[in-house]
Amino acid sequence: MIERVAEEDWPQRSRELSQLLARAAMGDRQAFATLYERTSGHLFAVVLRIQRDRAQAEDLLQEIYVSVWKAAGGFDAARSQPLTWLTHIARNRAIDSLRRAQAQPRTESLSAADDDDGPDPTAALASDDPGPLDLLGRASERRELNHCMDKLTPAQRQSVALAFFDGLSHAEVAEHLREPLGTVKSWVRRALSTLKGCLDRAASTDARRAI
Amino acid sequence: MDYARPDRAEALAAQYVAGTLRGRARARFEALLPSHPALQRAVRDWQTRLMPLTTALPPVQPPPAVWQAIERRLWPQPAPQPWWSKLGVWRALSGAALAGVVGLGVLLSVPPPAQAPVVVVLESTGATPAVAGNVVASFSADGQAVVARPLTRVSLESDRVLELWWAPEKGAPTSLGLIKADGVTVLSRGKLPGGLRASGIDHMAVSVEPPGGSPTGKPTGPVVFYGKLQL
Repeated sequence: MIERVAEEDWPQRSRELSQLLARAAMGDRQAFATLYERTSGHLFAVVLRIQRDRAQAEDLLQEIYVSVWKAAGGFDAARSQPLTWLTHIARNRAIDSLRRAQAQPRTESLSAADDDDGPDPTAALASDDPGPLDLLGRASERRELNHCMDKLTPAQRQSVALAFFDGLSHAEVAEHLREPLGTVKSWVRRALSTLKGCLDRAASTDARRAI
Repeated sequence: MDYARPDRAEALAAQYVAGTLRGRARARFEALLPSHPALQRAVRDWQTRLMPLTTALPPVQPPPAVWQAIERRLWPQPAPQPWWSKLGVWRALSGAALAGVVGLGVLLSVPPPAQAPVVVVLESTGATPAVAGNVVASFSADGQAVVARPLTRVSLESDRVLELWWAPEKGAPTSLGLIKADGVTVLSRGKLPGGLRASGIDHMAVSVEPPGGSPTGKPTGPVVFYGKLQL
């Protein structure tokens, strides 16, 4: 289990966000507006990576903050850091929006790349946005995680980055890398279990610095 | 599927947080989550591990329309349409007359719009090293209901309690009641004539008291939290 960092030792930003959430939970609209101001750029970036249709991403962001307002009372500073909590809510909504889209096969998978309608999950790979591997690289540099990433094979790194940042499913990652589904599944599984211990150590360091 | 097996719970939580648990499996996992503390713990641990990776993403500012839509959804204000707004008189009015009409509008607006609660953050005074952090207190605009909650765990000796007070700028504090050191307390009290604004309440404080609260009607122990009311 991860060592919890006491709230007093949190970076200033986390403490401020936590206080804003607590005030929002009690009906303070001004605090909620400030929370939005400080966090929406990050949450929108997270959502847009996964849900590439901009109009849908904007709708999702709206839903996310409506649920944050309603769920703010459930945020427990003893158990998680505010930005972690918020980011998880945002990612969850974004991933669920893909699940809904799967009911419409057009936008379901990479085969949609041939189709002009609907968001293309590989768009990131062709656009100027940083690719998922770049992001993983940046994240690990910033957090001195290079030694964690070095423990992964390039294929494991790439699969986990595509899945985590771009919200690709196992099947989509397999299609993108042109590898069998079973192989990709085991890459992701092994990558996560290799990263576990290493990230634990990094997380407790982060919690004391700024995340 | 046996979610009670720790390695299984661990692997599922990892896939859930990483986003690769999809479709029915994801829905099933979410449905089980509320009743499985071990699963919740595993999910929280994976969130703590993975979420900081997202800080590598350059922020993207959403358009202003998103916030406006959030406000509309959360606080829909059925803005009462005053009669003159339909008459197209606005443009014809001089500034002075306009001010008069606005004043009239305030008098005419019945019922008054539901007022947002007033929230006060009480900061630790440092009087006792064991007590740190903040207490947040929220008042309904009429001053009748108070909800208070310490933001961090407050360690008190077992025979001590926290008591919440409020006071005018100059004058004796009045007790609002005892509050929990580790959770939310809801206090209700008589209506303040004229509401919170007219009450002259200036600040609030939390003191440490013997069981049952202050025996004197005034704070007797150290004042550990203090905050100004900003109306």
